[in-house]
Amino acid sequence: MRTSSCIVGMLAVSCLVLPASATARGIHYGAVTDPEILNCDQMQWRGETEQSRFCYAELLRSTTPAAAKAEAAWALSNLKQANEWFRVAMAESPDDHATKVRWGDLFAASHQNGEAMNIYREVLDEDPGNAFAMLGAARVLVDSFEDAANSYLEPLMTGTALNDGALLGAWLLVARVSLENGNYDEATAALLEADELIAQADWPPLEVYALRASMDLLNDSDSNHWTELSLQFNPHFGGIYATPAHFYMITRRYRAAIDMYQKAVDIEPGLAAAHEELGINLLRDNQMTRARQHLETAFGLDPFSPRAVNSLRLMDSYSDFRLVVDTPVVEGEVPIVLRLHEDESAAIAPYATELTRDSIAVFAERYGFDLREPVVIEMYPDHEDFAVRTAGMPGLGILGATFGYVIAMDSPSGRPSQQFQWGTTLWHEMAHVFTLEATNHLVPRWYSEGISVFEEWRTGPNPGVRIPMSVYNAMKDDRFLPIAGLDEGFLRPTYEEQIIVSYMQAGLVCDFIDRHLGADKLRELLVAYREGLNTEEAITSVLKLEPAEFDKLFANFVDTEHGAVLNKLEEWHHTQTEISNALAEDNWSDAIELANGLVDIIPQYIEPDSPYLALARAHNELGNREDALNALQTFWKNGGYDPSSLKRLGHWLADAGREDDAIDVMMSVNLVDPLDRDLHGELGDMLLAADRAAEALQEYEIALALKPHDMATAWYRMAQAQHKLGNIERTQDHLLQALDIAPNFRPAQRLLLQLASGEAN
Amino acid sequence: MTKRLTSLVGLVLLPALTFAELHVVVVEGLPGDQVYAERFDRQVTAISLALRSVTELERVRVFRTDDVSRDALLGHLRSLQSEVRSSDQFALFLIGHGSYDDVEYKFNIPGPDLTGEDIAASLDELPTTDQVVINTSSSSGAIADLVANDDRIVVLATRSGAERHATRFGDYFAIALGDPSADIDKNKRISVEEAFRFAERQVSDYFERNDQLATEHATLTGERAERMALARLGGAQPNVVDTALGELIANRDALNAEINTLRLGRDDMPQAEYQSALLEKMLELARVEDAIEARQEELGANE
Repeated sequence: MRTSSCIVGMLAVSCLVLPASATARGIHYGAVTDPEILNCDQMQWRGETEQSRFCYAELLRSTTPAAAKAEAAWALSNLKQANEWFRVAMAESPDDHATKVRWGDLFAASHQNGEAMNIYREVLDEDPGNAFAMLGAARVLVDSFEDAANSYLEPLMTGTALNDGALLGAWLLVARVSLENGNYDEATAALLEADELIAQADWPPLEVYALRASMDLLNDSDSNHWTELSLQFNPHFGGIYATPAHFYMITRRYRAAIDMYQKAVDIEPGLAAAHEELGINLLRDNQMTRARQHLETAFGLDPFSPRAVNSLRLMDSYSDFRLVVDTPVVEGEVPIVLRLHEDESAAIAPYATELTRDSIAVFAERYGFDLREPVVIEMYPDHEDFAVRTAGMPGLGILGATFGYVIAMDSPSGRPSQQFQWGTTLWHEMAHVFTLEATNHLVPRWYSEGISVFEEWRTGPNPGVRIPMSVYNAMKDDRFLPIAGLDEGFLRPTYEEQIIVSYMQAGLVCDFIDRHLGADKLRELLVAYREGLNTEEAITSVLKLEPAEFDKLFANFVDTEHGAVLNKLEEWHHTQTEISNALAEDNWSDAIELANGLVDIIPQYIEPDSPYLALARAHNELGNREDALNALQTFWKNGGYDPSSLKRLGHWLADAGREDDAIDVMMSVNLVDPLDRDLHGELGDMLLAADRAAEALQEYEIALALKPHDMATAWYRMAQAQHKLGNIERTQDHLLQALDIAPNFRPAQRLLLQLASGEAN
Repeated sequence: MTKRLTSLVGLVLLPALTFAELHVVVVEGLPGDQVYAERFDRQVTAISLALRSVTELERVRVFRTDDVSRDALLGHLRSLQSEVRSSDQFALFLIGHGSYDDVEYKFNIPGPDLTGEDIAASLDELPTTDQVVINTSSSSGAIADLVANDDRIVVLATRSGAERHATRFGDYFAIALGDPSADIDKNKRISVEEAFRFAERQVSDYFERNDQLATEHATLTGERAERMALARLGGAQPNVVDTALGELIANRDALNAEINTLRLGRDDMPQAEYQSALLEKMLELARVEDAIEARQEELGANE
């Protein structure tokens, strides 16, 4: 028996835990004691499906108690009828806590966790030692990612609440969560406890087999033994495949998960949760038709499942999306498929295609891996659609997700542009495509994120090391994790900002390896992970360092690179406040002096409170346009991407006669805010003036596709670019489009007359 | 005779304003804080400046925050009853914050506020029915029923009194009066409708791009919004007396009418035929415009 503190540790709830199988009436381990129901259950647990269904149906027709009828109806998947019979049973015997708990279990199985918890709590108020109520509550809370599950499990595990069946359920829950958390020793111990209880009470061992098979797969061992035992016990127990599939899925081996879920539904076609997961994972693999088929089956079996409903609704919305395919022109390249909302596709597709091609070329060379399949990139204007695409449910905080060759992410309109540089996100996700595929999806989370962040900084469309102040604070508080445990920072964060701190630490680790141990080591680490090594083994084998030694060297690197900053963090925060006050009081000279002091501390800081923005504003207010311009230009060169600041910089550069620089800056805004209608017209004008008519035409085409308010001007601009390119017929067509809207549009009239007179451009 | 010729040129340039004088009252309401003080000031300045391009300075009365009161405003509107002719036009701009308590709308000014009933009654008492009311305040939608009539053009920043947040519509409406991209038909005049459509679009874009639920939905009612000009791009048109120019302008207007007829019939003719006819007319129109421009240059009266 383990101590409660151990249990608490084991059940630190991972964000990767997904809701367990729903609707299906699982093995209850003694929560139901009616002998007639148990008789039918035995048949069901043995896979005698027809006999068990006949048995349950007979019970429904007989004069058995209402609680037994409820169980029978549930077993026959008639949840509504089961609910009614539970209601009758509780009216007849309000103090029957066992039945009430089962009613709660029915609610939990039909995705109504709130109702289920209310029932469990009511039972525990009246019967504080009710072990099955505790187990039910713990299951619900684990599925809701809540650590409070421990408070319900503790009495079971410590023997305060005695019931072997509930205890068995608790050990199975502990084993599952331990496996999800990668604590294999804990999982093994929990399964041994479960084995003992099963042997004592002769419960079906199916769930233990499934968890043991999962552990073998996670350990790269042969799981056939457990599969065979399970199939011998019950040839229709889909869980023997669905449970390992779940573990494949949470370790991002989606295709392996698909194969396993398929086997699960092959032997148990009524397993709604497996159809649902199969559908969602097929979506991740871009197998739309198959995905819909299984999601529809899941919905048919379990109409209460929000994940199935959400996913199907999302698929229905694809009629508003357009597929843009970029076919390779060079042998060996892979096609790029963009799924973009029809209102945005014209504005995003050219940049996304170019960026994706660039990233493939860069990463293929750096990591020595060539993509083998088309890359599919989906961008969602509605962030919640992206969340459903990624997890089946809304409420996800991330910007993008990569499932292998399929990337889903927020579109530029999915978030305010000040918060989101979509070009960098795409670059980040493309790096994931390489790290996942180059390692057969065996790369640990920290390394995949580390490479992605590092590549954002080093080769991304807006390069530069960008570290938020919250991460500097964490560095100062010595909150970086040892390399061997860095994954924990992503999977089981223990403080609010630990995930972003972990992203930055992982990026810095890769930066350190690249600069001090050799760029080739980054590639070799991928090879090591592909060969199945864990992080400790990979560090030792590739870097020839013990993890502890590595940590020491990395700490020195961080100290060298950022130590000076960390020593001045208090000064930084204090000065920021002073700058805000100076700006608010129009005290521009003080603001400049203070901001220059901050630039000295962190020259590359380009977050929204960057001192460069204060400098630019203050200098401009004082009429020092050149200094203001220089401040904004440094901000931009360091990776600053606030679109309104960059557009201002572009205008200032153009005013200063630095048209080429202005064009570069304005082009970079496209990677932040490509849906800015005015931007494309302005940029096109700059390009046209610089005799870059083809590029101008692309900008004008995008401007037109975004349906600007002033359509006549949009058409006229198109005509101008076509005219420069010597396309007379198109010039005339576009001019007529402009004049059709605004017959008295003088510039268009003049160009039309010029065409008619045969003048050259 | 001189006066008649001037009018003739005016007729072809500004058909909706023929023989009509535009009288305007612009009211700047209480801002509440510095941010709105600057915004309202900017809007009132831009609107006043734009209006000078379509009417005489003395016909534009601007009430700034520091000189507006209910009595002063209503008194001025009463005085206009004797100045404004039935053939004239009248425009009222209300730039500021409004409130609505589910019973009564109030435009916030120093002292007693201006109520919806005040506005409606004052407008009803003017001799001209050719009016436009532009109320950019929060809750301005509350006066929609009060001020609506068959002749009046009504622009309101919100669709009901329940839209109580400070609005952005006024900022964009003021910008529209000086922005060439608001001039959809490129006739160098910004009509009420053009300014409204520009501002409406900008407001919608603002909320969409900032991922916020729109808290205002502007409305436009009235039949002649596309014909009533509130600004002329490039400044006021000089009064020019010239028969040749008058003829050219008449020629241009005739061509515009023909083009309009052609466009209305486009669905009844093959596309190629339409394009060909359009090209011919557009070339003709362009040449006439060239001639107008040349003549104006000769006269030192460029548009």
